[in-house]
Amino acid sequence: MIQDNTLAVRRRQAIGLAGAVLGAAAGAVPATASAQYGMASKSFNGAWPYDLPPTGHYNSYATGNLNLGIYYDLMEMPLGMYYWAKDSWMPLMATAWETNAEKATFQVKLRQGAKWSDGIAFGSKDVVNTFMIQKLLNNVVWRYLDRIETPDDYTVNFIMSKPTTTVERYVLRMNIRPSSIYGDWANKVRDIVNAGKTADSDEWKALRKEVSEFRPKSQVVTGPFMIDQKNMTEAQLSLVKNAGSWAAKTVSFDSIILYNGETPTVTPIVLAKEVDYATHGFPPATEKAFKDLGFRVLRPPTYAGPALYFNYAKMPAIAPKAVRQAIAHAIKRDIGAAAALGESAEPPKFMAGFSDRLVDKWMTPDQIGKLNKYEYNLAGAEALMTGAGYKKGSDGVWVSPDGERMEYEVTVPAEFADNSALAQAIAEQLTAFGIKTTVRLITFTQLTPDTQQGNFQMVIQGWGSGNPHPHFAFVQDLVTWNTPSGAGPGMAYPLIQKVDALGGEVDLDAMVTASAQGLDKDAQKELIGKLALAYNELLPNIPQYERLGNNPAPEGLRVKAWPAVGDPIFDNSPYADSFVIMLMLDGTLQSV
Amino acid sequence: MVAASPTLAKPADARASLPEAWRALANNYVARRIGKAVLTIWAVATMTFFLVRLMPGNPVEQFIGQLIAQYQLPYAEARDQAASLFAIDLDQPVYLQYFSFLGKLAQGDLGTSIKSQGVKVTSIIVAFLPWTLFCVGISLFISFALGIILGALMAYWRGSVLDYSLTTFGSLLHSIPNYLIAMILIIFLGVRWELLPVVKMRGSMSPGIQPGFTLVFVLDVLFHAALPIVTYVVTTVGTWMLTMKASTTATLEEDYVNFARAKGLTDRRIRTAYVGRNAILPLFTQLTLSIGFVFGGSVLIESIFVYRGIGTILVSAVSGRDYPVMQGCFLITTASVVFANLLADLLYGYVDPRVRVGQ
Repeated sequence: MIQDNTLAVRRRQAIGLAGAVLGAAAGAVPATASAQYGMASKSFNGAWPYDLPPTGHYNSYATGNLNLGIYYDLMEMPLGMYYWAKDSWMPLMATAWETNAEKATFQVKLRQGAKWSDGIAFGSKDVVNTFMIQKLLNNVVWRYLDRIETPDDYTVNFIMSKPTTTVERYVLRMNIRPSSIYGDWANKVRDIVNAGKTADSDEWKALRKEVSEFRPKSQVVTGPFMIDQKNMTEAQLSLVKNAGSWAAKTVSFDSIILYNGETPTVTPIVLAKEVDYATHGFPPATEKAFKDLGFRVLRPPTYAGPALYFNYAKMPAIAPKAVRQAIAHAIKRDIGAAAALGESAEPPKFMAGFSDRLVDKWMTPDQIGKLNKYEYNLAGAEALMTGAGYKKGSDGVWVSPDGERMEYEVTVPAEFADNSALAQAIAEQLTAFGIKTTVRLITFTQLTPDTQQGNFQMVIQGWGSGNPHPHFAFVQDLVTWNTPSGAGPGMAYPLIQKVDALGGEVDLDAMVTASAQGLDKDAQKELIGKLALAYNELLPNIPQYERLGNNPAPEGLRVKAWPAVGDPIFDNSPYADSFVIMLMLDGTLQSV
Repeated sequence: MVAASPTLAKPADARASLPEAWRALANNYVARRIGKAVLTIWAVATMTFFLVRLMPGNPVEQFIGQLIAQYQLPYAEARDQAASLFAIDLDQPVYLQYFSFLGKLAQGDLGTSIKSQGVKVTSIIVAFLPWTLFCVGISLFISFALGIILGALMAYWRGSVLDYSLTTFGSLLHSIPNYLIAMILIIFLGVRWELLPVVKMRGSMSPGIQPGFTLVFVLDVLFHAALPIVTYVVTTVGTWMLTMKASTTATLEEDYVNFARAKGLTDRRIRTAYVGRNAILPLFTQLTLSIGFVFGGSVLIESIFVYRGIGTILVSAVSGRDYPVMQGCFLITTASVVFANLLADLLYGYVDPRVRVGQ
């Protein structure tokens, strides 16, 4: 046998050398920004997926930009942010506003004395230029606006072509961009608008393409933070303090470090206690690990969630509302919610078509009292079915009066563990009730085209909306996945229906459209109330739960403390008006 | 008798020489292989072009889905935003898109990104590919070197405790998926036992480090590449070990080895010139193919370690249905594997004189 011990010695030397190199490397590497900033300044650590340049860039009008989600509001600040519980606004780049119903005008007074990070004063030209480029991009606000006027440097008048209360949110939540970077583009938009060109014209499309391809070399912001361009890596980037910002003094943190990645790659960093807040959808098992580490887990409502949709073209037996009401009674929604997301899934109580949290703001007590909560009641469900003329066959499966055996599939994306767990729970309960249901898994990218084209019998799709106005929830529930306004036949649910609670036949499509029109909020409330009663009676789809966040938020590491459980700020949608950003801006969130 | 006019003779000669030239080319092994390689790349590029467009959804729909999932926007609002942001014509007939793609490809233009409009695919690949080549290249080198050394030792000491333990170890490593190793390293060594600063080690370099040929930069790059390299090496060394062991074992039983021993040659000379060189031949082709695959990186490893590489770009492109970037990444991988294969074919004759291919 050939033996040579020199090989063993050389091997040991090689391993020793490798270890020495690694050790030297670890010692030579500067501390990460986290530790760096932690020693010299106060940092807040978050996580958000982003793309490095050249894919990522600073043009906030174009796709692939480095807007960093909720943290964007700390850079190119909006005019305001909304307190969902209080139904009021936090003034940011705007300090006052009002609607003049007679003139169909929404007037905004801007913050005086604020400056961009390049030293130029912030003013009305920045606002109007921002909206001009949004016009080029067919932003939805321009469906309701006729023109914008700027009587002075700090006043902007939005003249509405179709007056609606929703303009307030569209305008105030608009992130304002600097004229120093985008002013020329806004002027080009004005030129083509004044030349009478519309969105279908070649000039419009060409300019839109040019704007999309524009790449500013750096950021100019009004907010207290801006991206540290020099210290960006694919693993993390830093937002450094813009000391000249009007908001800089109230923000306790000197920097924000954002770790790149989706849930699987961010999870270890959270477990390593390097993240103070993350919005990623962590599975219940991971959430338990967070709790075991002593983290708080915040559960802000998203005002939306999954619902069971039916294809009325493929399931004639589902047409009578009594059948859908029976199904609602036959499903114990707690089971599906617990299987899906544990504590972060809240079964709806009122079944109004929009979040329970908004019900008392938009409906009268009398209307609320009329809502059927569809509590679990198998006997009641059976009574509804037999009352509608349905009989159970010898195999225990319901058969409609027309002879349709109620055996169906529920389609759900395989990659979404919460939705597929929910679908399984629904399938088991419906099968036990007598509607034989199997789960059909598809890839998540197929869900939208399949739903739009009506390639399903039952499907798990979204209900509700992350918008404080329930109009958007009803658009989602009744219009988005439906004909004729949706992108395809969808659930094919006729929107002219007889509703006993409303005393006759109603046009749901018209009601939904009208529920956001006009400036009379009371009139809108009345319509919303009626829509809720109609939805509750008809149940065109059946909401299963409202999704809550499960955001890890450790205290005492870099953040002194979060507000107590039950604080109204936690009624804010975590994305639409992030409570983290608002707590930072008003100084509530303090660094250690 | 009329003498053939020189001017008339030339075209006939030229015409007659053309088929000869083609025949000569067709008979040339190298030319045939190169032609085949180009055809293969074209075929794969074409298939990729159409296959990616068969994937459900398109860039606009993907973006809508992202807006709804990330920001809980109503579908209608998300759709309006997406439609306005994507200034692309997805309704152009596919065959026209294909010819446009081919035309640009012939000029070395891989197109522009859909997700980040105006950004050339080439610039994206150039920004990320070197990191993949560095990381995966070093890993391959280490894995190969370690594998052939350990494999040879296992063969020389076959039947020993070392052989059994390394064989088991190699088989185990060969069967564990690399992403699992990666997750184990992070969760156990990093989070659970806090033996490694995994948060610091994410990415390909630390914030604030200036790229350049400085010791600080080099050490920093090595520090960040350490975990991906360890993962690649751990999950591939088993293959090289076992293959080298089998090859060395077979070579050790050859007659010429026994003859060399009988002649009284030293063990060292037999190990290197007789056994080693011949045992390594079967691994040569595998090595050149592996070099080709270096260009493709590892999607999972780069994603888990958030390492700046071609795999990361590919994941982002697939999820966003960024067709040009996907095509560019697949083309780079295809071309490198095909040319690596070609190189293996052409070089094999030099490495093994017994397998010299004639004209």
